[in-house]
Order: sequence, then structure tokens, then C-alpha cells
Amino acid sequence: MAKDAIEKETIAQSLKNAGYSRRDFLTLCTTIVATAPMGLALTEKATPAAVAKAVAKAKKPSVVWLHFQDCTGCSETLLRTSKPDVADLIINLISLDYHETLMVACGQQAEDALNSAVADNAGKFVLVVEGAIPTKEQGRYMLLNGKPALEVLKEVGSKAAAIIAMGSCASWGGVPSADPNPTGATGVDSIITDKPIVNLPGCPPNPYTLLGVVLEFAVMGKLPACDDLKRPKFAFDRLIHDHCPRRAHFDAGRFAGQFGDAGHREGYCLFKLGCKGPVTHAGCSTRQFNEVVDCWPIGNGSPCFGCTEKTVGFRIPLFQRVDVHTATPPDTYAPISGSFGKFGAAAAGLVGLAAGAIGGSTWAASQRLTSSEEAVAQEAKTTVGGK
Amino acid sequence: MAMTRREAFKNLAKGSLPILAAGCVSAGLPEVAHAEEENVAPKGALGLLYDATKCVGCKSCMVKCSEYNDLQPDTRQDGIHQAPPALNYFTKNIIKLYRTADGSDHSYFKQQCMHCIDPSCVTACMFGGLRKDVDTGVVWWLGSKCVGCRYCEVACGFHIPAFTWDCFNPKIVKCELCRDHIAKGGKQPGCTEVCPTNAVIYGKREDLLKEAKSRIAANPGKYFEQRVYGEHEAGGTQVLYLSRVGFDKIGLPDIGEASIPHGLHYSHMLYKWMALPLALFAGMVFFAGKNFKDHSHHLVEDQKKTGLRPQL
Amino acid sequence: MTRWERSVPVYGVPVITRGFWAMLALIVVGLVLTAIREVVGLGGIVSGMSDPYAWGLWKTFNVMVLTGLGSGGFAVGIAAWIFNRKKLHSVMRVALLTSLLAYWTGLAMLGIDVGRPWNFYWVVWPFTWNLRSPLLEIAVCIMLYATVPLFLENLPPLFEYIIYEFPSFRGVAEFCEGALKKVYPVVIGLAYILPIMHQSSLGALMILGGNRVNTLWQTPFLPLIYVWAAAFLGYNCVSICLLLAKLAWKRDVDPEVMAEMNKLTVWIVYSWTAFRFLDILVRGKILHVFTDGFYSLLFLTETALILGSAYVLSTEKGKKLGTMFLAHVCCATGGMIYRLSPTTLAFQAKPGATYFPSAIEFIVSITFIAIGVLVYLIAVKKLAILPGSNADWTKMAKYEEQVKPGIQLTGYAPVEH
Repeated sequence: MAKDAIEKETIAQSLKNAGYSRRDFLTLCTTIVATAPMGLALTEKATPAAVAKAVAKAKKPSVVWLHFQDCTGCSETLLRTSKPDVADLIINLISLDYHETLMVACGQQAEDALNSAVADNAGKFVLVVEGAIPTKEQGRYMLLNGKPALEVLKEVGSKAAAIIAMGSCASWGGVPSADPNPTGATGVDSIITDKPIVNLPGCPPNPYTLLGVVLEFAVMGKLPACDDLKRPKFAFDRLIHDHCPRRAHFDAGRFAGQFGDAGHREGYCLFKLGCKGPVTHAGCSTRQFNEVVDCWPIGNGSPCFGCTEKTVGFRIPLFQRVDVHTATPPDTYAPISGSFGKFGAAAAGLVGLAAGAIGGSTWAASQRLTSSEEAVAQEAKTTVGGK
Repeated sequence: MAMTRREAFKNLAKGSLPILAAGCVSAGLPEVAHAEEENVAPKGALGLLYDATKCVGCKSCMVKCSEYNDLQPDTRQDGIHQAPPALNYFTKNIIKLYRTADGSDHSYFKQQCMHCIDPSCVTACMFGGLRKDVDTGVVWWLGSKCVGCRYCEVACGFHIPAFTWDCFNPKIVKCELCRDHIAKGGKQPGCTEVCPTNAVIYGKREDLLKEAKSRIAANPGKYFEQRVYGEHEAGGTQVLYLSRVGFDKIGLPDIGEASIPHGLHYSHMLYKWMALPLALFAGMVFFAGKNFKDHSHHLVEDQKKTGLRPQL
Repeated sequence: MTRWERSVPVYGVPVITRGFWAMLALIVVGLVLTAIREVVGLGGIVSGMSDPYAWGLWKTFNVMVLTGLGSGGFAVGIAAWIFNRKKLHSVMRVALLTSLLAYWTGLAMLGIDVGRPWNFYWVVWPFTWNLRSPLLEIAVCIMLYATVPLFLENLPPLFEYIIYEFPSFRGVAEFCEGALKKVYPVVIGLAYILPIMHQSSLGALMILGGNRVNTLWQTPFLPLIYVWAAAFLGYNCVSICLLLAKLAWKRDVDPEVMAEMNKLTVWIVYSWTAFRFLDILVRGKILHVFTDGFYSLLFLTETALILGSAYVLSTEKGKKLGTMFLAHVCCATGGMIYRLSPTTLAFQAKPGATYFPSAIEFIVSITFIAIGVLVYLIAVKKLAILPGSNADWTKMAKYEEQVKPGIQLTGYAPVEH
């Protein structure tokens, strides 16, 4: 990876040198806008042309990509793009100064590359971390050139301008942190607390999410707005359940009961098969993977397993049902004749009391009148008789 | 001075003559329903035709209605979803669902004001708060004349007008065929504009009636009783209904062909030119005057005897 | 045997009693609740009304039923002034006062029940009047009735009060009294034609209820039956007031006047019931009297109460005051149930809808009744309303002359012209 000369290039220059047409660039910018129509300052209320203008002027940011306890899926996800070829573009949009999977160097050369990348761009580069970091036994469970991963992260991280934790492993531990977590695998933000960190959980996350974050940093100089788990809001502010294409089936009560049954074949809701959509924040319902529509678990008839959520993915068993916290609409059609009118207990009591009081007093009054009349008659008789 | 039996009967006869006359007049009236101009729609009468067989229950009409009429959605059922249980002061137009207990049959029903040709509510309203447009026949509410007495709600045979109960400045809320929106340049009411299947359409009543009848003719056996609801019901309404399922099942009342205000026909006759009341008044003043003179005379006599001030 | 010859105030009884305070407390509570209704509107906890049952207790009971009960003014008045039943003159003032209070509290209740009372001023502007509306007829008639003839008819006791108690204003009062005397027959004519019109229009209201009013009540003759019921309700009310006066203040009862009123009540009830049955028969609904479940029960109950009571009044037993009282109460109850049926009890607004007043609604309703009762109690103690004999007056005069020295209640020889 070249160093000084390329770092001072603008993105526009870099793309031009690499032979990218303006059309390709605009296509990329359109994809970015589609990825993040809201929540990302770069693309908020912007047209692709406006985004292209902003991005073209920006300087290529330096990126160092570290792998820890990972499966490399998060890097692979970048490669599963072709319209445009994001991996290729990323190389020309950013200056990827260290990436163990994509770089040619190995051994001592690789070590030198890392040291010089960090030293030359100290305080300015973006550190992308892929994979969890083992912390048990002073981090002995993963050594890079003899040093525990924990130390490497701290060293490199201390020099970075910002850290992006790519994938669930780097965000909160991911697969390695599943019970019983023998290595003490954990995410970046439990180790580094004094640098701006953006978590992009997902197993893997959508590559365009990463692109949006990186470009925002390159163009605007700051990281996008994040929630309290440091996840960018533009991609993680909704539940799978809220935008699931099968939501209508859920609302109407149509479910697949077993893999392969009639409901499953009809594409009904997979909630009863243990879908974690109702408790998982991610954008997969609207942006699937591999640039193929419906290329995501639910689209393939497999329930979501909540890979982005620390409390769900690799924690709750695959086919165990979760509680739905979003409101399910009531029987949304009004009945032909509903019921109206309330029958309050207090009111009933009062009316009863009043009726009783009136009835009782009427009876008493009538009795009194009778007796007084009789008394008068008696008196008249005795008076007359007495005479 | 005690009254003799003869005098008593004479007085009784004199006094009850007007009442008896009224009774005879009202009892002997022939049925004049058909010739009334009450049941003829205005020339430019506009209305809706709702074909329940085409409705898919999407409720876009409810959303559009709220939008064109500046109404908030009724989310009182669960605080989140718009799910009014019936027409109310948030909801001028509602989709209801008829469903058999075993779910084997169902039909949707769009309910809103029927814009009757002889509206009961318009007859009911004291000062013309509810009025029927002379040209289009649309029944609409005029706040400046409304007292909030809710007689229109009691009078409506289709249970349509809604009252804003939870407000100290209440209104009567009901469909007005998007009168304001059309006045501002709209071509049709919101519900018909947005209906994806054209289940509800807008137009002149005579055209809609023709359309409905042609549908019935083209699909023998499809529509309930091969007829349009609203052609004659309650003296005819400007909103017409076609349904596969029985009209009573979807909530359209079995209301007969006479317009509801027709029941007041006899009462109105009694008040014609205020003749009867004036005659009665004159009669009573006459007799009261005679008896009063008599009574006053008595009072003076009593005063002479007792020295107590007479009481009027 | 007492003969009622004039009206005599209740004397020697304090106005402020425990009952007075109790009612005042209730009235205060009720007025606070009324203020709440004015701020909050008619929904929620304030009333049990809803769109299907848009008329609740206030309109149907306080206005429609209680003005029926307060029809003594015209019912007794027509017998006294038009048919010259002289015996009834002595009870006219009670009848008029009960009418006044029933109508004025009813109107106040109406003002609270309507949602947009600030638009009511149109009632005096004929160009907005919808002449087809029964409610318009009621509004105009009741306003006119309550403010003109009914009010004027109730002024004489007030004039007398001023003449006796405030000698400095005697001249004015006597002048007013004289003026009233001159136009009295016209006032009377108005006082009878207006209630006949609006009491029958109260019946016409529910004709627009169509077939939602059960067939045993719904008839084109609803207006006639309503005003006819108001007639006997008026007699019931007056009789009850007089008998309660005996109970409360030991007033003597004139059995001939009571018998006269009972006779009229019986006659009105019999003809009323006959007409009702004839109407049901002619409309072909006679079987519904027995086969309509709840409605049959309602019909039979009200008929039994009304007819049974009238029958009792026509017998010897009915001459006994206790039985008479019970009979009048039962008859009034039946009559009130009758008038409440087309609007509420026998009115099926729409399937699934029910109505029951809320607690606040009920309390406000009885508050306005209590206001009427309170004013009645004050009035009968201060003014000459309740009937008595000339001897009673003299006794009262003696008592008052002791308590209020200088007051002259007797010795008014007529001025010879």
C-alpha cells in the first residue's frame, strides 16, 4: 500500500487515476443515498449529485484494519458487492493502509506495514476492528507477533482518530463470546474507552453501512449520530419486525408452523419458528445482502436469529420464541354493530338508592296520611260521642 | 253558582270541538306520500355508489378522508393504531367488516352519511345547522346555527352524525362529500379519489343509479335481491349501495320507503297557517274572559263578606 | 270539613331547616359538577351519553318528563278557567308554581345539556327558523311560555307579598296587579295554547325516531298522546303537592277539591288509555302488547300503574288520603315512564347500543330538581300559594301580626265606586 502521495489525494483524483468513470462514481453515491436516506448528515436530504460533489472534494482517509477473533466474514461482506465493486472502490475511496486479508505482504513486511501505517498517520487514521478480543489470562488466547491482541488493540487504538467496530464480534463479542466464553472474548468498547467508537454489529453487517460511516467521516470529519450502544442510528434505529416484508402475515395471524409445511411454503411469518425479528435492531428487512433481493435469512425462509443484538444473537436458542414488544394492531376492522354505553357501578348505585328512597318515603308518607286521617276520624267520633 | 249538567256538557262540547276537529282531520287524511316533492332529488344531486363486492378493505378511503377533512386519526383503542370502532368525531367515513362466526363469508361495508333526499336530520335541526344544498343535495353542517342539541343524532335513521363529546366547543361531524375540498378545486371526494378498486365512485345520482342497475343486469344473481339500496330507502338516498351479502347483515337498516320526516306530515297539517292554534287561542280567550269576569265578581262579593284582600 | 277558599302561606315554620341545608349542600355539589361539565364537555365521565344515545337524562327526564309533571298550570287551569270548575281556583297557585319551577329548572337543564348554547339566540330571529322542526316549535313556545304567561301568572302572590310587607311599594304593586288583571284572559289564553302546542311537539320529536322507537309507542298520534299524558301528570303533581303539604305542615285538606281533581284525573286517564289502545289496535300491533318481551313488560307496567291508579281513585278507597296519595304517585310514575319510553326506554338507537346515566349526570339531574324543590319550599312559606280556608287566613294573620307588628293582613273592605 502506498503511503504519503496517495494520502494527500482527493477521492475524486484517486478514482480518476484508477480509471473509474463519473457514472460509476454517481452509481456509488446513489447507493450510499439509498443506504442511508435519513440519519446520515452526508446523505440527509441530498441528491446523489450533491453527495458526489461533497465526496469528490474530500481527502482519502487512511484506514487501518485489524483482525482479531474473527471469521473474516465482515471483510468478505465487502467483497460480495459488484454494482459497483465496493471492494475495489473502497481501495480508491479510502487509503486502506493495513488489511491482513487483502494485502500482499506477510511476515516481517506486514509487521513493518502496520507500524509505519500507524506512525505516519498517527491521530488521523480510522481503525476498523474485525473480530472479538480475548481478555482472559492477560489476553494470551490470541497473539500477534507474540503480543496479545489486547495490547495490539490498545497500542494501535491509542493512535487512531476514530474506531469502527465492524461486525458483532468487534461490537460486543459475537460468536467467540457465546457461553461459556472460555477466552473472555469481548468487544472493542469494553477495552478502549477514550476514543470515539462506532459499533456496526451484524454477522456480517451490510457493507454499505460501513461505507456510509467511513464517507461521513471523510467528508464531514465526524462520525454519524449513534444510539446508546454506539450503533449509527441511520442503520440501527429500527427493528427487523418493523420493516419485515412478512409483517402483514404476522399482523393477520398467518404463521409457518414447521419448516416445509404449507404456511412455510406460502411465505408466512416465521415468528413461531423462533424469529428474533421483533427484538433485533438492524436494517436487513429493507437492505438485504449480496445485492440480491430477498437474500437474507427471512427471505430464504429461515427465522432471523438476532445477530446484531448482544442479548439475542448467540444467546437465545435459534428456535426459541421471543416476546413482541411492538404493539400488534387490534382487530382493525370495526364490527358492523359494536357496543356503546357504559353502565357505571356508581351510577347504578345512586339510581337504585334514589329509587329506593323515593319508594320508601312514598310508602311511609301514605301510611302517615292514612293514620293521621284515622286519628282525626277517631277524634271526631269520640268528640261527637262524648257530647 | 254551581254549573248545571246541561251547562257542563255545553262547555265540554265547546271546548273539545277544536280538539275533536283536529283529531278527525288527522285521522281522515288520505295517504299523500307519493305526490310529495319531498322524495325527488335535486337535479344536480351528487352521490356515491359503493359496491361491496369490489371493496378489499384497504381503508385508504379512511386515511384520505382524514387528510382532506383535517381530522386526527382515532388511536384511542390502543394508543397507537388508528382503529375507530365506529363513526365518531375523528371519523367521517369508516370501513366495517361483516364476518360470519366461522369465517366462511365476509363483506366490507363503507359507512358514511347517506345524503338522503329528504333528510331526517335537516328536518330536525331547529335553526338550519344542518342544511341540504339546493343544487348538489349534499347535507352539510353550519356551525353558526348549531346549538349542539343533538336532535340530528336522534333523528338520523342511519346513525351517522357524530358529536364531539370531549370538548367544550363541540361540533357535529359527518361526511359532507368533501364539500370544502371540492370548493377549493378538487374534482372528487377523497374516498373515491383514492379507492384502488373503484369500489366507491362519485357522480350524479341518476348516473350512479344507471351504473348500479347495469351492473345488476350484467351479473344476474350476484347482487342481493337484484337491487340498489338507497334507490327508495327512506325516500331515497344519494349514497347507493350494492352488496352480495344481505343489506341487513352489513348494517344497512331495514328502514322502509317512506322518508322519516314523512311521519310529521300530519302534525304539520295541524299547524298549517297556524289556523288551528289561533282558533283555539281565540276560543280560550273568549271563555276565559267570560269566566274571569264571573270570578272577579265573586271575589268582590267575598271581599265584602270577609274583609280579606282578594287573590287574583 | 275544610273548604279551600283562598291561598294561605305556611306560617310558623322556619325556612332554614336541616332538610334545607341538606338540599343546599347537594345543590352546591351539583353546581360544581355543572361547572366541570362546562369546561370538559359532555363526554367521558361527565355523562353516559354517546352518539347512539345522544339524549340522556337531562333532556329526556328533566325537560321532557318533568315539564310533563309540571303541566298542572295548564291542565288544572283549563278546567278552572275554560270549563269553569270553580272549585279548582283555590289550587291554581300551587299548580302554577309547580309549573313555573318545573319549566325554569327544565330550561336551565336544557341550557347545560346543549353543546353550543351561545347559538341559541337564533330563537328570536324567525328568518332562521326551520318550520318543519318539532324542536323549533318547542324552543320558541317554551321560551315564550316560560317568560310571558307562566311568569305573569305567578306574579300575583309576589305582588301581594310586596303589598303586605313593603308598604312603600304598595302603589307600584297594586298598579301592576291591576294591569295584569286587565290582560288576564289573554295571558290565560296564551298560557294554555302554548303548552298544548309544545307538549304535543315534545311528542312529535320522537316521530323522527322512526322504527327505532318500539311500535307500541311509535304512532303519528304521538303528539296527542303526549299532551294528554301531560294533562293527567299535572293533576298528579298538584295532588301530591297538596297531600304532602298536609303531611309536612298539617294543612287541612278540602275533600271536595281533591275529589274534583281525582274525577278529572280519572276521566283523562280512562280516555287516554282508551285512545292508546285504539291507536295500537288500528295500527295492527295489538299482539305486541304481549309478545314483545321487554317492551311488552314496559308497556304493561306503565299501563297498569296509570290505569290501576285511576281505578283506585274512582273507588271509595280512593277517598282515603293515604290511598289517594299512593295512587297519584303510581299514576305519575306510570305517566313519567310513558313519557320516557319513546326517547329512552323503548328507543333502540342502533344494535348493541345501551344507555345508562353516569353518576355525575344523575347528580346534576337531581340537583336541578332539588333547586326547584328548594325554591318551592321557600315560596310556600313566604307567599300565599297553598290553599286554605278564610279561617286559616285569619289565624295566619293573627300569628303574623304578632311576629311582624304593623303588618295588615285583614280588614280590606272593597273600595266603593
